[in-house]
Amino acid sequence: MNRLYPSRHIAEFRRIFQDPVLFIGLVLVVIFVLIAILSPIYAMVDESRTTEGRELFDRYLNSPVYRTIIVNTLRMGLIVAALGTALGFLIAYVQVKVDVPFKRLIHIVALIPIISPPFALATAVLILFGRNGMISQGWFGVRYDIYGLDGLSLVLTLSYFTVAYMNLKGMLQALDPALDEAATNLGASKWRIFRTVTVPMLIPGIAGSFLLLFVEAIADLGNPLVMGGNYEVLSTRIYVSIVGLYNTTAAAVLSVILLVPSLLVFIVQRYWISRTSVVSITGKPSGVSQQIRHPLVRWPLFAVVMFVVLFILLIYGTIFAGAFTKILNVNNELTLDHFDFVINGYGSEAMKDTTRLAAIATPLAGLLGMIIAFLVARKTFLGRNALDFATMLGIAVPGTILGIGYLLVFNQPNEITLPLVGTIEIIPKLTGGRAIFGGAGAIVLVYVVRSVPAALRSGVAALSQIDPAIEEASISLGADNFRTFMRITLPLIRPAFLSGLIYAFARSMTTISAIIFLTTSRTKIMTHQILNEVENGRYGNAFAYCVILIVIVLVAIGVLSIAVGTTSGAERTMEGGA
Amino acid sequence: MKRLSLVVFCLMIVVAVAPVVTPAPTQVQAQEDTLTVLCTPQEDWCVAMTQAFEEETGIETSYVRMSSGESLARIRATQDDPEFSVWWGGPADAFIAAYEEDLIEPYEPELASVLAPNAVGEDHSWHGVYVGALGFCSNVSFLEELGIDPPTSWDDLLDPALKSNVAMAHPATSGTAFTAFWTIVTLKADEFEAAEEGTGYDEDGMPTQEAIDAAFEYYSELHQNILQYTRSGAAPGQMAGTGEIAVAIIFSHDCVKLQVEGFEGVVVNTFPEEGTGYEIGGMALIKNAPEPEAAKMWIEWALTPEAQVIGQDVNSLQLPTNPDTPVSELSVNLSEVNLVDYNFVAAGMNRVEIVERFDAEIAPQPTE
Amino acid sequence: MISSQAGSLVLENISKTFPQRDGQGEVRAVDDVSLTINEGEFVTLLGPSGCGKTTTLRLISGFELPTAGRILLDGKDISNRPPNKRDMAMVFQSYALFPHMSVSKNVAYGLRIQRVPGKELRERVERVLDLMGLRGLGERRPNELSGGQQQRVALARSLVVEPRVLLFDEPLSNLDAKLRVQMRSEIRNIQRRLNITSVYVTHDQVEAMALSDRIVVMNQGKIEQIGSPEEIYRRPTTRFVADFIGRANFLEARIERVDGGEAEVELLGQRVRVPVTFAVSAGDHLTAVLRPEALSLREDATLAQGAVEQAMYLGSSTDYVVRVGEMVLIVVETDPSAHVVFREGQTVGVTFEPSTVHLLPPG
Repeated sequence: MNRLYPSRHIAEFRRIFQDPVLFIGLVLVVIFVLIAILSPIYAMVDESRTTEGRELFDRYLNSPVYRTIIVNTLRMGLIVAALGTALGFLIAYVQVKVDVPFKRLIHIVALIPIISPPFALATAVLILFGRNGMISQGWFGVRYDIYGLDGLSLVLTLSYFTVAYMNLKGMLQALDPALDEAATNLGASKWRIFRTVTVPMLIPGIAGSFLLLFVEAIADLGNPLVMGGNYEVLSTRIYVSIVGLYNTTAAAVLSVILLVPSLLVFIVQRYWISRTSVVSITGKPSGVSQQIRHPLVRWPLFAVVMFVVLFILLIYGTIFAGAFTKILNVNNELTLDHFDFVINGYGSEAMKDTTRLAAIATPLAGLLGMIIAFLVARKTFLGRNALDFATMLGIAVPGTILGIGYLLVFNQPNEITLPLVGTIEIIPKLTGGRAIFGGAGAIVLVYVVRSVPAALRSGVAALSQIDPAIEEASISLGADNFRTFMRITLPLIRPAFLSGLIYAFARSMTTISAIIFLTTSRTKIMTHQILNEVENGRYGNAFAYCVILIVIVLVAIGVLSIAVGTTSGAERTMEGGA
Repeated sequence: MKRLSLVVFCLMIVVAVAPVVTPAPTQVQAQEDTLTVLCTPQEDWCVAMTQAFEEETGIETSYVRMSSGESLARIRATQDDPEFSVWWGGPADAFIAAYEEDLIEPYEPELASVLAPNAVGEDHSWHGVYVGALGFCSNVSFLEELGIDPPTSWDDLLDPALKSNVAMAHPATSGTAFTAFWTIVTLKADEFEAAEEGTGYDEDGMPTQEAIDAAFEYYSELHQNILQYTRSGAAPGQMAGTGEIAVAIIFSHDCVKLQVEGFEGVVVNTFPEEGTGYEIGGMALIKNAPEPEAAKMWIEWALTPEAQVIGQDVNSLQLPTNPDTPVSELSVNLSEVNLVDYNFVAAGMNRVEIVERFDAEIAPQPTE
Repeated sequence: MISSQAGSLVLENISKTFPQRDGQGEVRAVDDVSLTINEGEFVTLLGPSGCGKTTTLRLISGFELPTAGRILLDGKDISNRPPNKRDMAMVFQSYALFPHMSVSKNVAYGLRIQRVPGKELRERVERVLDLMGLRGLGERRPNELSGGQQQRVALARSLVVEPRVLLFDEPLSNLDAKLRVQMRSEIRNIQRRLNITSVYVTHDQVEAMALSDRIVVMNQGKIEQIGSPEEIYRRPTTRFVADFIGRANFLEARIERVDGGEAEVELLGQRVRVPVTFAVSAGDHLTAVLRPEALSLREDATLAQGAVEQAMYLGSSTDYVVRVGEMVLIVVETDPSAHVVFREGQTVGVTFEPSTVHLLPPG
């Protein structure tokens, strides 16, 4: 066990106290983590430990039906993790190491899923490959039953492989080409290099992506709702428990069951990555990587990747086509009705609300992420690792769980009773239409919580590229922590800051599972409206929404890039953000 | 950049501190110039209604659309501090269940007298705003492909040829699906009663537990043919329209709406001969409503022919409950349909139990 | 001219422990170090990597907090003062220039923090750029400068704020050998001119000798010896110091006789008298230090005979490795043209200059 060194910790904190801005920053961050991340999760876990909850645990864990659901969830997670990592690796490898044409196109297409709203993929896939799909039925005459595990695996893989792609591409690029060259000089063939040098070096990245995808997949709610068929998974069960039965205890119990594998994987991944950080990321590759040109390797890989690229383009093409036709595949007449419905109908409010809330959450998440990154990467204090861990929980915890936690904690004002002063409301009611800001507060908070981890990671990554001596130089010249952060650190990690912002905005605009229980009459959220449209089968409206949402996100990326003033363009910075 | 960040940073601090320094949140207490409606029918109808009401009264009206099970759950969860003032639409059994739980407040509108007796709830706890019957909405070409005729009986749905080709909503979330469930309960009770008096209904006229069990048996058999339980009652109709499934169990007016909105000739609407259930779309004042006066105005207004005709504009072809409302020729004529003797009160009282049992026993079952 | 109110610095029984990586136990990086640095003095902390010299510097600068002990600046306890309030400026190994600012902005940074008014600020920046030979480079970005120029900017940036103590953390180790020598003398000149109290960390003993008024040799967190470069070289007090500073031959020496402040020992067949500052008595076994350049080789059969195991002709000198019985000696013959160059395998006589013999204290 860790021995504590009280005197040292006191000295560390005294040091932080001496710098009021740093102190306030730390306090704010701690308050944020406690209130917005830990308390909802705690409340959820606590709810599941009531007598009723314990009974439900017994019931669920002993019921063959629920065991099947748990197995279903894990199986889906494993399949998606395996397929997504493989796909991400394939595209990353081809992108970095193989000499093929259209690399830029491949790259951009691989990034698209980040900015696409939920349901868009699932719905388009249903139209193309559903039981009456344009391709499955229309071309091949097959009434293919895509509902269930098949369809979910496909759609989730396509939704999340980008994460693996970004991770592995970064690692492949950082791999010192000298290693390859050294191996070549030793007479190793390309295949041998691939097997004995490239893959082993990437094992941490591959494992990390696998685990990340696993967590994303088992937490996904939107896709199982649309095309789960009778393949029941935990997230949909949680959803029905809340939405249909409003049984928060049942939802909490199921959530805890879902939380266990998520958390386990998260912890494993953290330790794995921290142990294998010996990868030769030098920052300055010592040579230009040799690209593979052998036609027998090059063209088959190119064909496979292009197939994937075209497939993704086809799906997004379907979304656009669907937005502009009456009922795609039934009545292909061109129309603007869907846009009219969405823009002039009830959708405009949701568009405004969602964009506004995301725009509020974005700078908060970006800045908070950078501040936490600064504290975690540059300062020493007791609980630094705990702060990092707790912040990362914001994304490690399935969105539905966060949403339920918010309902439990913030559906009433939180008060404390002090002697003399009396009862003070420290946090007002945040959820529901009667809450302050019409329940928007909770939604913004959730947006921030879900976005901060990515900003934190890109901030820490950027800081690790920056010699701490640069900040120390500033301090030794008399600047305090705050001025150092604003004048030196933030400008230097600007690309990371920007990618944090972009990610936060895109994530906020597209998130569904965490806010689905938090939308109110006064705060309408686009993704929730899309879900309504999709669930009612009005795909045209849903597609029109998706198109608008994608446009909003793209515009925002442009605006952010200009505002933060990076010359390298948005696309590059997005790379850091995934 | 520097300045921007600084501003943002200050903003963050303000936002973080603001709730702390304002101990009493500005409770948005409506001076009765706003109204929040919990709306259960399809979204476009909700939009049309709230906009019309806003124009009519100047009251700023917003709504949330939720399926009826969801609505009930949400009202129950927020009963201490309700966010909605009026609940409009969705089968009446949900309203009966809500009144049973003391979640709604009786209020008698002037036009209550023009309504049919079965469209007025106990103590004027709720009032009917529209009527519609359940039907089967089938995809014509899909059925042809399967080589079967459009179903005309509940038992037709159990045809193995329809495996994974039927869809309905989840009774926990959808009033439509619950209506479908209670219809079977009623049919089973009738069947038992015909065989031996007293086995189908108890002395209070309530279907017996045996009838309910028999309905569960039916649905667990039907489960094998269900592709997916949707959240929303009308959603299966779209799936039938796009050919994802062959038969949807939905309200017939929703099927007609589909036909009008682009699926003309694609879907066909049939009814079970042995009898089908129907809904009376309810409307009620929510207990402790934050905007009671505006809510009462809505209730008065919603029974007027002017309000009841709005549905037709958005192709919601439910039959109006106010007899003075002109009826669209597209609407299903209920006198031509064999309706079961649907006991809304019994349905409402059994709702919670049935829904939980359905969710526990049937929905999560794997299909072979 | 840039003037600096030079400060005096006192370290009182400073210790610093870090928890070990695995969380088990702790590492004593600095162990009970006491040191007084006078105003205007140039003191170098010298030692191998991991000896605690950099940690000591960071404790002085305030980037690390001591686990025990006090640090006094001009008599005031600054142990708990944050680094930005210590009136010190640090020059880093990596230069640590602000890459997003021009040279002028880099240099002006500390003055801006002090809110020095615009005119004065410009003048002071100008002056220090001139002093450092950076005139005309003010608008450049750091990455457009050579390594030597970058280090000059780093030094200028620290000088301009007129710190009471200037701290150097191996500032020359990223430069190539020639530039290092040049910068060394520049630093030396400027420090002498401005009379700034300076603490300099390096592992390069030549650099330390060239720059310092006093050298503090550190090993395993402890101070081995403090002294002027000459003292450190000629009269090391420990084997470690003798070995670390330059090269040394260690010979076992038995005290034959003690006479006043001198001891008589026999080395390589010669009896020599060596001054001692510590108590010894006849019969003690001590270690004698003989610098390689104090030894010389002769074709003389009367001297202690050894075999040349290796001979390296280096131009200005010839390095030999000679085996004498059990001992292996390093011999450097300067000015080889004056002597015969011996070949490997040759048998030679070994002699030395008696006045250079130094005895290490026992223990």
